[in-house]
Amino acid sequence: MNDPSQALADAKAAADRIVKAKRLNASLTPAKELRKSLLAAAAAAHPSGVLYGMAVAVKDTICTLEFTTTCGSKILEGYRSPYDATAVAKLRAAGALIAGKTNCDEVAMGSSTEHSAFGRTLHPFDRTRVPGGSSGGSAALVAAGAVPAALGSETGGSVRQPASFCGVVGIKPTYGRVSRSGLVAFGSSLDQIGVLGRSVHDAARVLSVISGRDARDATCEDRDSLRLPTVPESLQGFVIGIPKEYFPADLDPAVRRACDRVIRLLKEQGAAVREVSLPHTAYAVPTYYVVAPAEASSNLARYDGARYGPRFDGATDVRALYRATRGAGFGAEVRRRILLGTYVLSSGYYDAYYRKAQQMRALIAQDFRNAFDRGVDLLFTPTTPTPAFKAGEKLADPVAMYLSDCFTVTANLAGLPALSLPIGRCKGLPIGGQLIGQAFLEDELIEAAYAIERVVPAVEEA
Amino acid sequence: MSVTHDEVRHIARLAELDVAEETLEVLAAEMSSILAYIAQISGVPASEGVKPFVPGPDAVRFRADEVKPWPLAFGPERLAPAFKDGFFLVPKLGAFEDADA
Repeated sequence: MNDPSQALADAKAAADRIVKAKRLNASLTPAKELRKSLLAAAAAAHPSGVLYGMAVAVKDTICTLEFTTTCGSKILEGYRSPYDATAVAKLRAAGALIAGKTNCDEVAMGSSTEHSAFGRTLHPFDRTRVPGGSSGGSAALVAAGAVPAALGSETGGSVRQPASFCGVVGIKPTYGRVSRSGLVAFGSSLDQIGVLGRSVHDAARVLSVISGRDARDATCEDRDSLRLPTVPESLQGFVIGIPKEYFPADLDPAVRRACDRVIRLLKEQGAAVREVSLPHTAYAVPTYYVVAPAEASSNLARYDGARYGPRFDGATDVRALYRATRGAGFGAEVRRRILLGTYVLSSGYYDAYYRKAQQMRALIAQDFRNAFDRGVDLLFTPTTPTPAFKAGEKLADPVAMYLSDCFTVTANLAGLPALSLPIGRCKGLPIGGQLIGQAFLEDELIEAAYAIERVVPAVEEA
Repeated sequence: MSVTHDEVRHIARLAELDVAEETLEVLAAEMSSILAYIAQISGVPASEGVKPFVPGPDAVRFRADEVKPWPLAFGPERLAPAFKDGFFLVPKLGAFEDADA
């Protein structure tokens, strides 16, 4: 039987831990508001819930009733949603305590959490480095031990990349597994809510709760919620593919060593391991940077000073009001991507960029289908080409920043589930390994992750 | 691929986004560099027969991107006392507040 007095004590302890981690600038919720809200949530939570008393922080791109939802942007400063995202409502119904909102790159556009209007989030182990992004606040809070799990959101790797940089587990489910209702739209055909957890089990049980059908999102599949697998005795019967395109010659040597160690352990666990090829991988990032900005330029058109957030007034007519509000409200990276998206959709360029990118997306998805059709159950790759980079290192070169997602964007383009888990360290910095699975077979992904987590020396130097 | 200042201004107008004149130089350079990077997909042989990939349930599919006739029997300008450049003209909200005071 779950104990209500224990839940109150746990809520207070969670608030204390989040406040203690303040130097990271990972939480956007003021301490007083956070404490009050956590204690009220603990008092109201139903003890029979499967997540009763579990503090779960929520990325600021996901709507919550009691906290502001700003997406790390000035354009939504002070905005309060009139409803909870479905994922948040499901967490509450399961007894979880919403532990405030976490910092992120503005409108989830970024790979370092340096593009937040509310200041950058620090890496939990090295303040000179970035925690990854865009769900960097969620990853940093979990890595700092402040919460056992947090919600993030992905369009091109924004859960897995920060999970890898911070040494925690990050799951991006299949497109359509979790409702997007209440997730602020960035690239609607790519966006999914994901989970960051201190262990595979913590992340998986939160994912299980938030998954399943939802009448509020037409792109959410009509399926039951995910059933959690048990921890397997071995990986006997699993065929794991190693896509050679994810191990380029210039891959960081420590990342390569950590991956080689995992591959050896996979074999020792009984899995059959074979090399596969996903030939269109190199085109994933350029494809993504057509599709995602194109969808973003349309989705972000609604932020015009008339309906949400602050208004930069003094304009002579309504168009000038829109332009002034958007020009002042969006930061540099978001402005850049809106312009890029508008450009690739504009007359004369649509076929050359957008139509071509949609074809490339189909070819990338076909690569995965071909691998799975040849008997491969899962793919194993590094999550990122390097461990966490220095703050400021890639700010002046947008393409270099975009390339830090080169191993993660493919799963978003193909709509597949993928998971990152810690597999070693390099000079103290975490290294992440990635499993990519078949659509709606998250249970296989989680089973394999359990097996790797059990045997891999995740905090040892690779 | 080189984007000019005028092209940035034009795209910014389409995107309803004020862009400061002093940032045009940097924006044009950044957009040129990103578009040059993206352009590598144009060299990939992909037959016209490849259908765009859309994830999610089969029931949810993109509509054709096409211009269709206006679905109303008459234009929206006849629904309002005043209409200009695609917008309905209404009194400022402040006018009502003043009237109540």
